[in-house]
Amino acid sequence: MSEALLPEMFKELEPFTNWALEPERARTEEREASSMAEVRAFYDAMMPRFDEILDHLQSYFGADMPAPAHRLYLMSLSLVEVAILVELYKQRETVIACDPLRYELRL
Amino acid sequence: MSSVARGKLWGEKYRGLGTGPLTTEPYISEEYFALERDRVFRRSWLNVGRVEEIPNPGDYFVREIAICNASVLIVRGSDSIVRGFHNVCSHRGNTLVLDERGSCPGKVYCHFHNWVYSDTGELIRVPDEENFFDLDKREHGLTPVNTDIWEGFIFVHLDPEPEETLRDYLDGVADRLDGCPFHMMNLFQAYRVEERANWKIGLDAQNELYHLPFLHRQTLGDTFATNDTAKSRFKNVEFYRRHSAWEGGFRRFHKLTPLKVALFVSRDDTPTFGVPQVTEGMVHFNLFPNTVIVLFKVGKSTSCITHNFWPVAVDRTVWETRIHFRPAATIGERFQQEYFKCLIRETLQEDIAGHESVYAGVASRAKPHIVLQDDEVTIRHFRKVLDDCVDEARFV
Repeated sequence: MSEALLPEMFKELEPFTNWALEPERARTEEREASSMAEVRAFYDAMMPRFDEILDHLQSYFGADMPAPAHRLYLMSLSLVEVAILVELYKQRETVIACDPLRYELRL
Repeated sequence: MSSVARGKLWGEKYRGLGTGPLTTEPYISEEYFALERDRVFRRSWLNVGRVEEIPNPGDYFVREIAICNASVLIVRGSDSIVRGFHNVCSHRGNTLVLDERGSCPGKVYCHFHNWVYSDTGELIRVPDEENFFDLDKREHGLTPVNTDIWEGFIFVHLDPEPEETLRDYLDGVADRLDGCPFHMMNLFQAYRVEERANWKIGLDAQNELYHLPFLHRQTLGDTFATNDTAKSRFKNVEFYRRHSAWEGGFRRFHKLTPLKVALFVSRDDTPTFGVPQVTEGMVHFNLFPNTVIVLFKVGKSTSCITHNFWPVAVDRTVWETRIHFRPAATIGERFQQEYFKCLIRETLQEDIAGHESVYAGVASRAKPHIVLQDDEVTIRHFRKVLDDCVDEARFV
């Protein structure tokens, strides 16, 4: 049997492991390449579990995370990446800003 | 007290700055740009980085100062001292180091003819040396650039004989920031973008609060507003010769969304980290000519953002932003920092669109002047300092 992608209690989030990305630029690219419906589906699946996710990840904080927890951690960073679009802008049409991929990132 | 009823505080406090319109020519004039090169960027201390970027002997980075056609190599020598050199080989003037950053323990090689320099700048080896004519290697080391450090910030001065020391140059800004624990706030992310705008357009926007509830209506809203009508005004403004410092308050989180509730309301496990220089909200220190240091205190933690606006041409600027946080103590704090970083990045994207649309408008020459309100006095001060340096009556 193959290793679980995510910690057992977060198994239902496995359809969204495409968001387990690093570094920052990869998460931004995923957001930019996704439709608003895809971004929303990811947000809607993650957000209600976010408190539990943080509680779960806290036990690994400052140490090496097992791969399933690390995947969940990266998905949570992606949640933050998409949250401003979903919660504040609400739709791409209201964004008056330069293309986020114009940046060069150091890290 | 309602801010609406407040008098024009800064116009009265800083009467010498006047209240009239400013000319737009300095944003678009090639001649003014050339004068900025010779009379500002070649004659000012310029922040090029921080000591944490080169922690070990042999570590280096290269800073292109495009407006001056200068490439400066900043290297920590094997004696641990940080030095700056023109990044130019003594043989035939080749650009010495091509990488933006790296480590060269002990030696720096020129890739053209393999001349070798020590990490303290001496020329130590020349291939086929006996075929030169009385070459004295002691006279052909790298050309030093005046370099000094203040609170971990590395500055260079392109004039071989600066008029004043870095500490004197920084004046009251250094007094206010002396001892600020910048070294405890690590680089979290650095962004670099080239924008089609004059460098002062971007800098001006970092020099006022007025635009925040409008240009950033969706991302910041009334976060830093002074009152319920979303006006944003300074809590305080001080000028220190060329430099300025202004403070803005924190009102509330703009829209308490589910993510903000999860990170800033439900969880309360972030240990407090404060610095004496900022109680709540933000303090901007605008270091003439092109550097901004921002200290933010929102919630329990303090962060530091720096901006450098590097002129490339009259209508092109490289804008670098660095975000620093202390190392997160909990997973909650780690995600708070991620949130702030993404929010800041998003507002920078709005700013870039703003800078470019302002520049396009100004460059159309439809308007010979811009008009400023009382809480844009910081832009007025910056222009006065700049005009005094440029010292050409035709542009005022």
